[in-house]
Amino acid sequence: MKKAILPAKSDLQYVSLVLPGLIIFTAGLIVPLIMGIGYSLTDWNGISQNKTFTGFLNYIRAFTDPEVRSAWLFTIKFTVVNTIIQNTLALLLAVVLDGKIPGKKILRTIFFFPCLISAVIVGFVWTKMYNNVLPAVFDAMGLDGHLCMLFGDEKTVLQGLLIANNWQWVGYWMLIYLAALQSVPAELYEAARVDGANSVQRFRHVTIPMIASAITVCTVGITTGSLKVYDLLVTSTRGGPGRASTSIIYYIYSAAIGGRQYGFGSALSVVLTVVLLAVAVVQLRMLRKNEVQM
Amino acid sequence: MNRKNISKETGFGKKIADLLVYIWAAVCLFPVFMIINYSFKTKREIYIGNPISIPQKLNFDNYKNAFEKLNIGVMFANTVFYTICSVLILVILCSAAAWAIQRNKKRFFRFSYYYFIVGILIPAQALFLPIYVVGYKLNLVDTRIGVILMFVATNLSFGVFLMTGFITTVPVELEEAARIDGYSLYQIFFRIVLPLLKPAIATLIILQSFQIWNEYLMSSLFVSSNDLKTITVAIQGLFSQQTSDYTTAFAAIIISVTPIAVLFMFLQKYFIKGLTVGAVKG
Repeated sequence: MKKAILPAKSDLQYVSLVLPGLIIFTAGLIVPLIMGIGYSLTDWNGISQNKTFTGFLNYIRAFTDPEVRSAWLFTIKFTVVNTIIQNTLALLLAVVLDGKIPGKKILRTIFFFPCLISAVIVGFVWTKMYNNVLPAVFDAMGLDGHLCMLFGDEKTVLQGLLIANNWQWVGYWMLIYLAALQSVPAELYEAARVDGANSVQRFRHVTIPMIASAITVCTVGITTGSLKVYDLLVTSTRGGPGRASTSIIYYIYSAAIGGRQYGFGSALSVVLTVVLLAVAVVQLRMLRKNEVQM
Repeated sequence: MNRKNISKETGFGKKIADLLVYIWAAVCLFPVFMIINYSFKTKREIYIGNPISIPQKLNFDNYKNAFEKLNIGVMFANTVFYTICSVLILVILCSAAAWAIQRNKKRFFRFSYYYFIVGILIPAQALFLPIYVVGYKLNLVDTRIGVILMFVATNLSFGVFLMTGFITTVPVELEEAARIDGYSLYQIFFRIVLPLLKPAIATLIILQSFQIWNEYLMSSLFVSSNDLKTITVAIQGLFSQQTSDYTTAFAAIIISVTPIAVLFMFLQKYFIKGLTVGAVKG
């Protein structure tokens, strides 16, 4: 409708508004994606002028190398447990904070605050917590302080990282659930109550369907975020002890930057990108089905 | 709020739940207390004293050291500069692109929209290697402009997505009236549309600046010289030194968190509003 009164010149002006963004976006994200695919088919070391085309060799290695497999294993464990725990805790907290609890605003800020801190710092702070502060607390209570040194043992390092990551992010997802809970109309609960539904049934059949889009947002967000874990490890476990907490991005970084295997690193990057895209699309499809259209 | 929470339990179960939440809050607060506590301790207190004891007197030496020895003032200024420039450019580019996409329905704009949206699903962190290579080939590595362009490129698609949603709230009638008054397209954008987008821009600012401020992986690759480093990269360097100067590090942590905490306090309303949209990015 509007188009009719616009001269053709203004189309070009509109284009000029989109173009700068389009160029920067293409150069900074799309070109790297294509280049990454290109490098992944070579044996480039990152410095040398020549790179040899090696076909799918890097990809074959990406799927057979035991070190890569252990990095994936850690990343997947971290992601699965994180997605379940972080979602549950965030929703539980949001439900309590949505009710009548004194000091609501302060509680909200306390839970939310840690996500404003860089994950690099969170890793460092929790290293100090496990190595110095918590042992002192345990000792003071007459318990064995060594129980707290979660980053020192292959068996407990995942636990330690999960605690640190949840401390940082539960409050963030809680805010999203809180916003969703507050938008559920009270009449729905009233109607359910009149129909004789108890509190568990109301939660299951009113709350959950009504906040389904928040569940989608949080689940996809936590899953993709956890698959990309890196910053947290740099200042805490550095992938150790041994290789026990080497995530896939951590592995790519050390293989490509430290080990000078750009081609191989790029192949892993491409695989990770595909995995992230696939996980997001599958989760969105599955979860969107349950969403109620208002 | 007037809404009655008839769904909520009253009585014993609720009291237990509330109590648990308070205990939980105390546990969550403990590391924060610890950071603040450590930042005021002397070296002696760190090595000899009990980790959970409180320092004997409030000493600001660690903060002084952070500025004098670590030169954290420079890193701080760098990070402020990168964050402000990137966010400013993002605000202009994203609103301009989003507005054009919403107002002009020709094929090019529809294509541009989907092109940008695909970017939300492409994880920049997974592509850190080739992004770095592109930066290197364009001679942008270890330059201020390079860091800023990197932040803009990796955050653009989300910004366009966010702003396109908000543009629908801008009334077309105002723009038409301005056009009749002889405003050019650019004048309409800068004088009419941008001011009307204030709430959306506030949301974009807070969501992007806290991510850019805390970003580590890409910034650590893009900057190597000391006087260009961001505060997060600088603090990371401090942790990895063998002779870790913990007391100074904790003061540096407080210094680095403060601006974002303050920004959050001012823009909290917009932050919460943008979260639901923002989380889609993941």
